[in-house]
Amino acid sequence: MDMKELYALMERFEKSGLSELVFKKDGEEVALKKVLSVPQAPPATPVAHAAHETRAPAAEPHVKQASDTDVIRSPLVGTFYVAAAPDAPPFVEKGDIVKKGKPLCILEAMKLMNEFQAEFDLEIVAILAENGKMVEFGAPLFEVRRV
Amino acid sequence: MIQSLLIANRGEIAVRIIRTCREMGIRTVVAYSQADRDSLPVRLADGHVCVGPAPARDSYLNVRNLVTAGVLSGCDALHPGVGFLAENASFARDVREAGLIFVGPDPEVIELLGDKIRAKRSALDLGIPVIPGSAGSVSDADEALSAAEDIGYPMIVKAAAGGGGKGMRIVRSGNELADVLAIASHEAEKAFSDGTVYLERYLENPRHVEIQIVADRSGNVVHLGERDCTVQQNHQKLVEESPSPAVSADLRERMGNDAVRLLGGMGYTGAGTVEFLVKDGEYFFMEVNARVQVEHPVSEMVTGVDIIRQQMLAASDESLEIRQQDVHLGAYAVECRINARSAGRITQFISPGGFGVRIDTFLYPGYQVPPWYDHLVAKLIVTGRTRPEGLRRMERALSEMVIEGIATNIESQKKIISHPVFRKGEYGTGFLGEILKEGGL
Repeated sequence: MDMKELYALMERFEKSGLSELVFKKDGEEVALKKVLSVPQAPPATPVAHAAHETRAPAAEPHVKQASDTDVIRSPLVGTFYVAAAPDAPPFVEKGDIVKKGKPLCILEAMKLMNEFQAEFDLEIVAILAENGKMVEFGAPLFEVRRV
Repeated sequence: MIQSLLIANRGEIAVRIIRTCREMGIRTVVAYSQADRDSLPVRLADGHVCVGPAPARDSYLNVRNLVTAGVLSGCDALHPGVGFLAENASFARDVREAGLIFVGPDPEVIELLGDKIRAKRSALDLGIPVIPGSAGSVSDADEALSAAEDIGYPMIVKAAAGGGGKGMRIVRSGNELADVLAIASHEAEKAFSDGTVYLERYLENPRHVEIQIVADRSGNVVHLGERDCTVQQNHQKLVEESPSPAVSADLRERMGNDAVRLLGGMGYTGAGTVEFLVKDGEYFFMEVNARVQVEHPVSEMVTGVDIIRQQMLAASDESLEIRQQDVHLGAYAVECRINARSAGRITQFISPGGFGVRIDTFLYPGYQVPPWYDHLVAKLIVTGRTRPEGLRRMERALSEMVIEGIATNIESQKKIISHPVFRKGEYGTGFLGEILKEGGL
């Protein structure tokens, strides 16, 4: 598949009602995915990422990240807290290794404290949200490296 | 006065609300889905909060994220717009419990009006004419058959929680009743999670006429005349006009007074619409839409009253700016809904303009119309001193309008507006079906 065909496919996919498309031909495989379900690793191929890139005034919160890291994004609108209570130590700090299922932060929404857990074993590369501030859906919370 | 408003909606109605708020000095924050990041309301509002991914159930229907977005972005009120959660009483309650003003009637009133059987009973109690029908819901075929003897055929089966034509079925004789009842109930169950249905006399080819109401908390209830929404396809309105060619001054006064009595009696606040069917000079109460409606600009153009502004005043516990004697129904106005028939990128957009032309839209060149939501992309409204003048102006405006990159219904709107039956003004809700049979659209 040449770039022109690829771009044509991306454009048609963008307009379609499909949320996911896997195209296999002559040993090549292209996966396109539209709806970001978070938290999860970014889509596997750079192509898939381009499919939901937008030139936006409300630009998707952009994160400078290393090529071997993932960004964990907020699955809801809420207030971001690094600790369970104001005087408690933070769940995680930069450089920490966190096991799957361990808490990363608290997301408060409608007076409910939602503990947000690691979906895989990871290393905290950076904390991207500010303690006590509102995060919108899809806002970057952590830059992490799978371990 | 409300200082800061979260708009829990998208598209042209979000743009419409932002415009009035800007004139009133109210800060706006728009809640948007990931598919609407590039949208005009996001560009126009003072702030924006992403509330979820493209599917509406995860974003525009995501109660928790919408309410939290309102609270955390420092808003003191929330406007639900039209559709989505606009007539959801439990949402209105959640908004209030979070300490925000819900721009709309009280949750108890939304609940009452959302139940079509209770709403009809309220009208009956006030002596407002209603379509003959079952006193309440019907649960089985035997009950329906005995009710049918009083109502007479043809009948229509309707969902108690209904809207948008879902769960509605016409019955022409007793033999089909049991089957139709089962289908309608099943459809209602699927669409509204409530399979309750009721029966009504089916008025063959009536006119759909509705009265616009605005009301405040100090008991001012004002009607802004009627809108005729008879041109419908599958119960979806396509053309709306005011005044109605089928409504006399006397009929208007009686319908207007009844609408004011009905909503005034239940402590309704904000903007609302009382829908009637009109047949042979008689009118019958159908239902109330407890929100602002898509076609509200028609009444705005006829009366010069900004309905969203009255809504914001009423929600702020302030008085309406108008009383009934200030309302003058001098002019004529008509609206054509411009619907997308495909999603895609807008490559060219030329908006009509000139004397007596208004366009409410969220399109701009380069905008990607997402495939996820309602197909309405623009509302073209024109005014005239008379109906013939207004319709000539509408033809002119439609001929100026260019939307490229997506398929639209502009051509079919031109055919409706220039159709001799429409021009004559004598038709019912079956009109569009007849044109379709001619192969016109």
